[in-house]
Amino acid sequence: MATAAQIKKGYLDYVLTHDEQPKSVYSFVKKLKITEADFYAFYASFESIEKNIWFELTIETIDEIQKQEPWEQYSSREKMLSFFYSYVELLKSQRSFVIYSLKKHGKRLSTPEVLSGAKPIFLNFAEQIINEGLESGELADRKFLSKRYKDALWVQYAFILNFWVDDDSNGFEKTDEAIEKGIQVTFDLFQRSPIDNLFEYGKFLTQNGKLKEKMGF
Amino acid sequence: MKAQETMPTTKVERSAKFVKTGFQIGGNYIKHYSKKLFNPELSRDELNEDNASDIYNSLSELKGSALKIAQMLSMDKNILPRAYVDKFTQSQYNAPPLSGPLIVRTFTKSFGKTPEKIFDKFNIKSTHAASIGQVHEAELDGKKLAVKIQYPGVGDSISSDLKMVKPIAFRLLGMSEKELSIYMKEVEERLLEETDYEREVRSSIEFAEACKNLENVVFPGYYPALSSSRIITMDWIEGQHLKEFLKSNPSQELKNKIGQALWDFYNFQQHELRKVHADPHPGNFLITKDEKLGAIDFGCIKEMPDDFYEPFFSLTSTDLFNNKEETIKAFRKLQMILPNDTSAQIEFYYKAYKEMISLFAKPYVTDTFDFSQEQFFEDLYTYGEKVAKMPEFKQARGVKHFIYINRTNFGLYNILHELKATVRTDTFKPHVKRN
Repeated sequence: MATAAQIKKGYLDYVLTHDEQPKSVYSFVKKLKITEADFYAFYASFESIEKNIWFELTIETIDEIQKQEPWEQYSSREKMLSFFYSYVELLKSQRSFVIYSLKKHGKRLSTPEVLSGAKPIFLNFAEQIINEGLESGELADRKFLSKRYKDALWVQYAFILNFWVDDDSNGFEKTDEAIEKGIQVTFDLFQRSPIDNLFEYGKFLTQNGKLKEKMGF
Repeated sequence: MKAQETMPTTKVERSAKFVKTGFQIGGNYIKHYSKKLFNPELSRDELNEDNASDIYNSLSELKGSALKIAQMLSMDKNILPRAYVDKFTQSQYNAPPLSGPLIVRTFTKSFGKTPEKIFDKFNIKSTHAASIGQVHEAELDGKKLAVKIQYPGVGDSISSDLKMVKPIAFRLLGMSEKELSIYMKEVEERLLEETDYEREVRSSIEFAEACKNLENVVFPGYYPALSSSRIITMDWIEGQHLKEFLKSNPSQELKNKIGQALWDFYNFQQHELRKVHADPHPGNFLITKDEKLGAIDFGCIKEMPDDFYEPFFSLTSTDLFNNKEETIKAFRKLQMILPNDTSAQIEFYYKAYKEMISLFAKPYVTDTFDFSQEQFFEDLYTYGEKVAKMPEFKQARGVKHFIYINRTNFGLYNILHELKATVRTDTFKPHVKRN
């Protein structure tokens, strides 16, 4: 009886050796010496294997960082940084797969199908961290906008992932820089800033009208 | 080029200048990317040029004493790229502190362990910034340690930044690339060495050992096992920086003592070791409670080969100047006089360099020298200004070693001047063969 792990391993081995998917599930199971029923018991298609790998990598990272010592003391900003550093570290063990899997998708702007399992996990995690930040006052609660913060982090996720795929610096140092700078900027925008104050002031002025009369002496 | 209207004088104004340049460069990047959104074919050339000219504009307004004095022996043009690069890296690495997670990551990458697991105590908030990294306080086995962590990607950026600014810098300075590339290469080598922390630990240990018998100079212990290519662990030296020290109104006697330690430290290195801590920046020294000079940061080391050391120091410390022929010979060895020079040129450079070096070597002529005298520094500046305006010095001259040796000695003079110290200058004399 085949296991999910066996099928996954066989599939990874195949795509990384041939740089393409097996022609059919039939030819694939024949090579693995299992039945088609075994295959479909775990996976609906080849895509679902890839989707699953991404899903697991993401879950594993989130589990891992929450076990780390300073996690509880970290601010939301630091928690997100910690996620990305650990994520790229974990992805390193599967770099060939990551490159293969994302390359297939090409440089389109939509979310690759293979990430459709990882995305809700990440967004859920991001939302949780953002909510913590909103509660503690670290991040600014803005009408409508604060609900979209997690989407901005998803944009960063896609950017960092693509950056890492193309990164050829020693020890992927450039990716570390991209994470550090990108997440800092994103969280700077989530924080209360002069723009908020300007907005508040504008609101005050319109509500307390007669602007023209008050401007001159 | 825009005319320079005012010169920023105070420290605040000068820093403001850098902040402004930082903004401009940031702005240039944003401009570039917004343009690129609409025109993906746009190359980076325009961006590079925007950046370089902004940096240069801010630089040329910054003719403070440091730059001025550095221009002196180095003939304005030779040193300018160095200053350019200094300021450039400065504006580049005026980076915000590294985040906690990135520090943890740097440690796990180097040692496979988080800092909490390596040290008994580790302060995740950095105490201060170092030139290309930041310093943290830690404790292990009851010992207080300083842990220096390098910013990621610094080494890569130096090379690519230099490549990027080089051609534009040459054009802005109105010099040919060929003429200056030898100096630029020297600067690049030193800068890249500074990013190699493993090398720095080795040199630090070597220098601390070699200089251990010097009076009133102390060095931190280094821990190679707790250091890596991105991390240096050393003893924490408790002490004051020069500015704080001077604010505490030290006695003249104490200032002389510290000045003497500094003088001995540099001249011992130059003449006994023939290689020198080439970054005499006030931030690299601490004055301890028991009145000693603590020397840290051996990132930038300049070695002096014999073919530079011999001719150069025979000029400053022998009676060579009495012999015109021999002097010209030494100038030729140092490429201050070039093979193709006409006899009129030889005469001109002979006089100019002789005057310059006599001025520079003044502290060496007498057994003691009072660095508090304004007149000496005034003379240096005026001469530097004069020389910088001479068309004859628009051309690059002098071997590449001058860049760092001048920087070292002028840096030393400057600190001694700030200390207003009187020192014995005959403690470690150059070793040159007498003719």
